Amino acid sequence: MKYLNSRNRAILREMISSDFKVRYQGSVLGYAWSLLRPLFLFAVLYVVFVYIIPLGKDVEHFPVYLLTGVILWNFFAEATTQGSLAIVSRGELIRKISIPRYLLVISSSVSALINLGLSLVVLVMFAIINGVTPGFQWLLVFPLIIEIFIFTLGISFLLSTLYVKFRDISYIWEVFLQVGFYASAIIFPLSSVPVKYHAFLFLNPIVQIIQDARYLLATQSSVTIWSAIHSFTIFIPFAIIALVVAIGGLYFKRRSKYFAEDI
Amino acid sequence: MTDKQIAVDIIDIHKEFILPQNKNSTFKQTVVNIVKQNKKVTQKVLDGVSFQVNKGDFFGIVGRNGSGKSTLLKLIAGVYTPTAGHIAVNGGLTPFIELGVGFNPELSGRDNVYLNGALLGFTHKQMDSMYDEIVDFAELGPFMDQKLKNYSSGMQVRLAFSIAIKAKNEILIFDEVLAVGDEAFQRKCLNIFEQYRQEGQTVILVTHDMSTVRRFCNRVVLIDCGKVVDIGGPDKVASEYSRLNQ
Repeated sequence: MKYLNSRNRAILREMISSDFKVRYQGSVLGYAWSLLRPLFLFAVLYVVFVYIIPLGKDVEHFPVYLLTGVILWNFFAEATTQGSLAIVSRGELIRKISIPRYLLVISSSVSALINLGLSLVVLVMFAIINGVTPGFQWLLVFPLIIEIFIFTLGISFLLSTLYVKFRDISYIWEVFLQVGFYASAIIFPLSSVPVKYHAFLFLNPIVQIIQDARYLLATQSSVTIWSAIHSFTIFIPFAIIALVVAIGGLYFKRRSKYFAEDI
Repeated sequence: MTDKQIAVDIIDIHKEFILPQNKNSTFKQTVVNIVKQNKKVTQKVLDGVSFQVNKGDFFGIVGRNGSGKSTLLKLIAGVYTPTAGHIAVNGGLTPFIELGVGFNPELSGRDNVYLNGALLGFTHKQMDSMYDEIVDFAELGPFMDQKLKNYSSGMQVRLAFSIAIKAKNEILIFDEVLAVGDEAFQRKCLNIFEQYRQEGQTVILVTHDMSTVRRFCNRVVLIDCGKVVDIGGPDKVASEYSRLNQ
């Protein structure tokens, strides 16, 4: 394990823990906010989408269905946004010391992953209160989290490298995330989209991941890529992830030597 | 001389920088530059530098402002990548281009010691065993749980310097650390250098101060306009440096 030797692990550990310590500095409730934030978000969404705009009244356990999508999307948005800034925001460090550059990207992604973990804890409690029967199939969410983590890591490598040269990236990505939010069926059930568009939506790896997670955590009536697609296109979201990771990783590797002078 | 006695081998290093006024920082500029076919304006900072630092050397790098010595130091530290040439480093290397790299004002002194230590290449366990010594040397025992932003700048420098000298490695690089701090602090630095010299610690030092060079260094290289002008004993090179400055 050349990439995660004891030295690199120490750097990751210190960077992630200092990120976490600094985040809630000066607040009275401190770390409690990391659980309270998803809790309040859930409360607001629950009121809005169950009582005010009942988009998913036909879907069993719609609040759980909705929140599963929201927390996975929030992870994706937070991790890629932070990830795209990971190199430039640590420019001081990069110009003064020769730590492996990829550690900066990984540490920002792992920080977001910790938040996702905390949100999932709240989600599980919420699901039980909502009357979902817990089952061993819930554990299958972990491979999905690994999948979305790898995808965000690939995107972060690509964007953080591009951002060193093109500061437009942060605005472009913001727009991209806005579009992605509505194109990924986060706040409405996928079943409300005409079936003929399903094949198109499932080209997006995020849709595949979120729908699988909803199937596992909320209701087995969720449309998944496995029930909607019966041709070779079923491999496309996975191919996209592999491609993004390969391009992002290689581009990052090629440019990272010059980060110190390019920033 | 066998290879094992060489700490840092610098072989025909060239370094060019692309000058920032032509940097494409938006897509529009990139497109404009492609259409205009602007030639990249580069500045050659190092032009074929070669020398060797042996194990146990207290090695000085001197030169006037803008001669390329700091660039050379960053190349040795692995911060920059050479345009051409090769640098071989035998053994662990800790650069002190700036003291307290990665210090976060919002964290406590204790957390900053571990963070800075990790960035310099030490595990949590290794830092555990050095922690008390570092705090004692910095004379900051009662303040370690305070946030760094509440430290005076002198206290911050003391903490950073203590980590630097306690967190030892096979090769140490210093870039004009003596320029900061008051007289007492400078004296402390000089005492540490004296100790390094007696212990046979490999040190590479970039400085303008010829008295420091004469006192500690056993070999010195003089860089001017990106080239090695002179290399050898401290007295010979220091007087060459003085001649250059006239």
